[in-house]
Amino acid sequence: MSALRSYRLLVTWQARRMRMFLPLGIVVQALFAFGIVAGYPLLFPSIDRLTVLYLATGGPAVSLITMGLVAVPQLVTQARTEGTLDYMRTLPVPRIVYLLADMTVWLAVVLPGVAFAVVVASIRFGLDLQVSPLVVPATILVVLTATSIGYAMASLLPPMVAQMASQVLVVFILMFSPLNFPADRLPGWLAAIHGVLPIQAMGEVMRGTLASNTFPLTAGAFALLGVWCAGTFAATGIVMTRRG
Amino acid sequence: MLLEVHGVTKRYRRSPAPANDGVDLAVESGQVYGLLGHNGAGKTTLVNQVVGLLKPDSGSIQIAGRDVVADPGYARMVCSIQPQAQVPIDGLTPRQAIETLGRLRGAEARLVRVRADRLIEALGLSEWTGADGARLSGGVKRLVSFCMAAVVPGRLVILDEPTNDVDPVRRRLLWAQVRALADEGAAVLLVTHNVVEAERSVDRLAILDHGRVLTEGTPADLKSAVADDLRLELVLEPGTQVPAPPDFASSFTATGNRLVTTVPARMGGAAAAWAQDLRRAARIEEYSLAPATLEDAYVALVGAANTSDSTMEEPGVRAA
Repeated sequence: MSALRSYRLLVTWQARRMRMFLPLGIVVQALFAFGIVAGYPLLFPSIDRLTVLYLATGGPAVSLITMGLVAVPQLVTQARTEGTLDYMRTLPVPRIVYLLADMTVWLAVVLPGVAFAVVVASIRFGLDLQVSPLVVPATILVVLTATSIGYAMASLLPPMVAQMASQVLVVFILMFSPLNFPADRLPGWLAAIHGVLPIQAMGEVMRGTLASNTFPLTAGAFALLGVWCAGTFAATGIVMTRRG
Repeated sequence: MLLEVHGVTKRYRRSPAPANDGVDLAVESGQVYGLLGHNGAGKTTLVNQVVGLLKPDSGSIQIAGRDVVADPGYARMVCSIQPQAQVPIDGLTPRQAIETLGRLRGAEARLVRVRADRLIEALGLSEWTGADGARLSGGVKRLVSFCMAAVVPGRLVILDEPTNDVDPVRRRLLWAQVRALADEGAAVLLVTHNVVEAERSVDRLAILDHGRVLTEGTPADLKSAVADDLRLELVLEPGTQVPAPPDFASSFTATGNRLVTTVPARMGGAAAAWAQDLRRAARIEEYSLAPATLEDAYVALVGAANTSDSTMEEPGVRAA
């Protein structure tokens, strides 16, 4: 049984299960787009081009991270409580393959909405986005890292604690992370923390690949995110194969 | 032996008593092996160690001569499992779910389809093959999860309470398929607390209580302990008081309006007369006197006190 064949079968399985979430994912992301287009101009009456660019290109990072840290833990916790996660762990496939298949489906659920949000924002504000092909690896890295963290959280922590942790993380990410604004606005100590956490790098690789004419794309951000991705994915793999 | 379990002990954190305490058992290919015991006896804990979801504190588990405590990945390759919990098939049709599992077990699509068709037909599931898994009744879901384990069976097939929620007619069809799995060469480990059904279906069985194997053998071996006993079962008239047990009754259990008592075979005549008197006095609706069953042996072994929820079931009644 090849890993590729198992992967394909599991992707089909999970995609069928997640079918009902696909329209929901698109609606949520469309609302998000609407928020940027209609909401931010209310917050900032004299909104300049750079701010708009930050919002339009930070949005996808926020969406992908939120999916990984909120939606994934919720569904994984539910699967754990119902016993279906254990069932999937008894299947004759390497658990890494199962994880990758699951993450592929998550990506497919969130991606159409994210793309839609970017397009709407760029039309509304007349942005001239220069999308680099590197947006593909950037998106994959962000999704893999965020869902790995979400998976590990939901697998290790008691259900209630996992839920709380994901709420706290969301506030931290939405309010205190340089995704929708430049990092130099942060106090020094927080900027230093963000220097080692993956969130800022997630924002930078998304921004740098969506608006490559405005934002520099640094190898450092890709490298840092790559390390986080490898580390969290490996950790989640270990958590998934752990025996009680 | 295909599955050999030796001295397996497992203790959960924050639990004073071990969930499994030196469990030994062995299952051959072609055999249906029943693992019986009341709720919390340690049956599912044992199964979870066999398939590598839990790690034993001590003891060994071998499948086909291979140490699966050291190599849990091998256990997953050779075991197919129907878990006690529901399987995640919302959004899939039964046919899709069954065929996906067959193909994940490495079989070719055409063969999987043929085998799936056969199972669907044999269990009378045809009318649901195209329905969404989320809309299926609990019983049909159980049958689908059985098919997922059986469509391309592993060398060891583990069925955890396969008949829960299943209607009486399909239960019989299901038992025939369990038998067929063993006849085709699989070792079947059947976890249940339904003693009545197990008696008709298993080749050997072990009774687990508080994590230990109380006894092990064929149903006939186990029944030999109660070979000289008769089982007297009474159905009380609604609203009547439970009669005092006769002197010769060695056990006496009342559940709802049903009374089950064990009496020595030599007292059969006295037992029938006692029951007949109650009937004449219109205190009971009916009674039956028959050789003691595996259930009676089970009650004698485990003790009536902690089994009232699990041993009084008739086929067709939902397992507790």
